[in-house]
Amino acid sequence: MKYLQTLCLLLVISHLTTEAQNFTTTNAQKLIMTNEDSLLMGMGSNSQKTVISGYGSAYYQRNFDQQQSTATLERAVLFVGHQFSQKISFFSELELENAKVEGGVSNNAEISMEQAFLKFNLNAHQYLVGGLFTPRIGILNENHLPVNFNGVQRPMVETLIIPATWRELGIGFYGNSEKIPLNYSVALMNGLEGQNFEHGSGIRGGRAEGNLASANNIALAAAVQYFWKNFKFQVSGYTCGTVTLSPKGSDSLGLNSGAFGTPLYLGEADIQYEKNAWSAKALGTYIAYPDAGKMNTVYGNNTATGMYGFYAEVAFNWLFSKKSQASFISFARFENLNMNSSIAANGEGIYDGTEDQSYLIVGFGYLPTPNVVIKADIQLLHTGPQNPALVINPPPNALPYQQNNQFLNLGIGYSF
Amino acid sequence: MQMERRKFLESACKACLFAGAGLLISELTACSPSANVTKLPILGNTVRLPLTGFANGSLQIVQPSGWLYNIAVRKTGTDQFEALLMECTHQQNQLIANPNGFKCNLHGSQFNLEGRVVKGPADLPLKKYKTSIDQDQLVIQLKF
Repeated sequence: MKYLQTLCLLLVISHLTTEAQNFTTTNAQKLIMTNEDSLLMGMGSNSQKTVISGYGSAYYQRNFDQQQSTATLERAVLFVGHQFSQKISFFSELELENAKVEGGVSNNAEISMEQAFLKFNLNAHQYLVGGLFTPRIGILNENHLPVNFNGVQRPMVETLIIPATWRELGIGFYGNSEKIPLNYSVALMNGLEGQNFEHGSGIRGGRAEGNLASANNIALAAAVQYFWKNFKFQVSGYTCGTVTLSPKGSDSLGLNSGAFGTPLYLGEADIQYEKNAWSAKALGTYIAYPDAGKMNTVYGNNTATGMYGFYAEVAFNWLFSKKSQASFISFARFENLNMNSSIAANGEGIYDGTEDQSYLIVGFGYLPTPNVVIKADIQLLHTGPQNPALVINPPPNALPYQQNNQFLNLGIGYSF
Repeated sequence: MQMERRKFLESACKACLFAGAGLLISELTACSPSANVTKLPILGNTVRLPLTGFANGSLQIVQPSGWLYNIAVRKTGTDQFEALLMECTHQQNQLIANPNGFKCNLHGSQFNLEGRVVKGPADLPLKKYKTSIDQDQLVIQLKF
């Protein structure tokens, strides 16, 4: 009996091995590739390639209004990727924020999976991903390495309005046209958890980030990119349901549940320009949350019905030459955002002027090689006035709210 | 008569939309900065690209039959060509061609038209293939 079981097992393994070999190599490639070639190109039947890389950043910040300085190892991220075959790969990013998480208690620290997904190549122009991934919304969400954006801190619009790095569980389809320089993507994911939206951080608190996400409500995102001369244009959209409860639970609260119940909509468009030493980018985004008032009545989060943000940036690389590996980039960026540009009527929302924020950031980044950066910038912040109705039990030593503030930021970053 | 007029207006509007879309697509194609993809069979470890294609521009994108990565072929001078594998040297993602070079959407790596890293996390240049000219064809050797 044992011999029979062993024989069956061997037959199954043999069959699976043959299937795997048939799947991983096309006849054309078998004809021309030796194993060595295949490994070199990462395409062959016998190539099993594990890649370890990562990125990180640390900064010092001086808050002049509060006369407070802070230094932290902001991020240390480890990439692990593995190529199972020419068609199937695994990608992951494991992130530790602010260096230390001890005994389950953190001081704004976090250990999390930023991405963990399988990629299935369909052909040279299209692929599918499945797992925890960052959908194509805005500029930063896909490309958030510190060597690839100007400023010590990420753009605030892509932190507080588009909550990058925004990752959710789902599947995505990516492709580019063979006829025109156009990229496209569509993604289906779990939706946002509306009960976790927090006043002061837009929709950021609603991200599940792969942590037991509610799949009662789902999200759909899509993006189109087009290249023209030295410009890159992108338009992206996102919509989701925000109620995680079952119909039984939500009906009694007067909320619409289901896949797209109590919907939230996000639209975004951006332009990027690069020519020789000059680069520029501009981005605008708007969030509409028509039923925010109902959610506020139930959860008391004071979420807005409308939020917007835009920024524009110009940069110049003083060391630009076609042979130079080093860059010295000076830049200026202006940002404006409002996390409560419109609020629910009938007293279901309270306006907070501090959520209307403008930033002017001027600074530089020195990259001795493309993967190492030293940054410095000055950040000027202006907000609207504080609403006294939202100041409840202030501490006795609380200082009057200042609508203007200045920050000095110094930072380093790397990727490999 | 009323219905016919409405149908006529609807049809005319649809026709205008299609014509507009067609014009827009042809316009976009005309100002396309990257070349169309040319699919070529593999013959004896090589692919053969007709040189006539370079009359319209200095960049051609080649897809060897059955491959999951394209090859960017750029004319760099008289009878001089450079063939680069459009595979990110960081984590093997397919690259997108643009007028300034090649970009990886996975982690943001960028390469210039010569295949050199402009932005990380990639730190190795793109792989190059040897090329030669045989009459009116560019022969790309697929073995390194």
